[in-house]
Amino acid sequence: MVRVEGLCKRFSVPRREAGLRAALRALVRREYRVVEAVQDLEFSLAPGERVGFLGPNGAGKTTTLKMLAGLIVPSAGRVEVAGFTPSERRPEFLRRISLVMGQKRQLSWDLPAIDNFEFNRVVYEIDPVHYKRRLEELTALLEVGEVMRRPVRQLSLGERMKCELVAALLHGPQVLFLDEPTIGLDVAMQLGIREFIRRYNTEHGATVILTSHYMEDVAALCPRILVIDGGRLRFDGSLEALRRQIRPLRRVSVRAAALPDDPAALGRVVLQEGGRLVLDVAPERVPEVVGALVGLPEAQDLAVQDAPLEEVMRALFGREEAAELG
Amino acid sequence: MFYLRLVRAQLEMSTLTALQYRLGFWTEGLLGLLWSVIGIAPLFVAVEHLGAVEGWGRWELVVLTGCFTVLSGTFTALLQPALRASMTHILKGTLDYVLLRPADGLVLCLTCAFQPWHLVEVVGGLALVIAGLWLGEVEVTAAGLAAGLATGVAGVVALYAFGVLVLCASFQALQLQALTHVMEALMDFGRWPAQVFPPLLRVLFTFVVPLLVMTSYPAEALLGRLSWGTVAQLAAVSATLLVVARLAWVRSVRGYTSASS
Repeated sequence: MVRVEGLCKRFSVPRREAGLRAALRALVRREYRVVEAVQDLEFSLAPGERVGFLGPNGAGKTTTLKMLAGLIVPSAGRVEVAGFTPSERRPEFLRRISLVMGQKRQLSWDLPAIDNFEFNRVVYEIDPVHYKRRLEELTALLEVGEVMRRPVRQLSLGERMKCELVAALLHGPQVLFLDEPTIGLDVAMQLGIREFIRRYNTEHGATVILTSHYMEDVAALCPRILVIDGGRLRFDGSLEALRRQIRPLRRVSVRAAALPDDPAALGRVVLQEGGRLVLDVAPERVPEVVGALVGLPEAQDLAVQDAPLEEVMRALFGREEAAELG
Repeated sequence: MFYLRLVRAQLEMSTLTALQYRLGFWTEGLLGLLWSVIGIAPLFVAVEHLGAVEGWGRWELVVLTGCFTVLSGTFTALLQPALRASMTHILKGTLDYVLLRPADGLVLCLTCAFQPWHLVEVVGGLALVIAGLWLGEVEVTAAGLAAGLATGVAGVVALYAFGVLVLCASFQALQLQALTHVMEALMDFGRWPAQVFPPLLRVLFTFVVPLLVMTSYPAEALLGRLSWGTVAQLAAVSATLLVVARLAWVRSVRGYTSASS
């Protein structure tokens, strides 16, 4: 469904020193700096896959997404989405994709969302019967039956995002690009949107490509992740594989009336406070350590977990680990 | 057919937006009417005292003013709002959504907003043209009418092409909304007959910034004073400008970098 080979994007960005003198000088002669936003990216996605782009701010995720959607023309390399070259922006291609951006809106601010949907029906030439059925299905799933009749400016952020999703999906895209779709939403709304995206993917077989700063979005939705940093692909695989690669140690925690005399002998001590002990332990030593901790007096709340995702990401985007992955 | 439906849907959206706020709708309407009356009123005061200007009689000047008013109304009702809205899209990065629609991006940009009340000006302009022809006892021949319509269409095409070039400039330098005001100010030259301008300016306003194609020549065509050769020349000027504008648009969109999220 998506094939990317040697994809690059360079931007020429103006730069100047601080201060009035530099600003005046820049009026006459402006200096530019070439930024390699995306460098030599290669990957391919199968139909129906759910894939997450992970990376710090400015890593090149959104630029990649926009090149896949045909909004930005690549500087070099080849992109193929649903059998089309996106930058040609053929109508047949644009009917097969949709892009939802959490920080931008396609809905007209002053009108109720239903008027925007009707406009999209004309633009995408959706058959009226099909449109009615699809609108009913989407509005029922997202529970926006009444909401879509109020002017968009009066909607909450979550309600607006639900309406944005309806607008984006009315024409039944085969490829759905989601750029930070849950940004700024409360936890309940995030869960609702995640569940909806998963259901849409399952029921319609659409390929979903997601970028998000909320690790839970990616963890819950995407069996496969691509880590992009400095415009380069650093990792391609499952979240579990990434976690094990970056933070191979398991986190073992316990609460007990008395803790071991030398906890460092069991593993790396993360926390030792009151009756609580948290250790990072090598996977092969987990059974032995668990055995030791179970034997502690009044031992309770014993847990073995992978390292928290946020910690993995923090470590991943520390330069050393990123270099190791590369 | 698709593009007719699309343009209709875009115009409907603008009308719905105008109707969404009742007070705003009536205020806009009142201002639109006032604007049209203010634009035409000096003519009623001065018409009695109008002498011939470079071979143009009193009522012929009224026809010219009518042509100018039609064009100016078209600009303020249709082109200016669309240009301003599209420039805002470029500035805010929401042009992304326009470009993602399965239709020609330029058509979508040029029809994305309009101010229905300013169409009153277009109606007023047409009334002036008819009144000028009638009171000036001009016999409009079928050929003259056809030539007038042809130059009128060429004029509107030239206006839109010029607008597209202004829009393309805003891809390079953001916050160029003031350019639409410059365009409006430039259009004021179209109030005058081509003959009042020195030869160099006449060439400039015919071939480079074709204001005269938009106003003076359609009026001359209606008055039966324009040869078909000149009509063909003017059509060629508009067509060339249209091709240049289209190429500039394609180039601008290819260089579009979007705004970061």
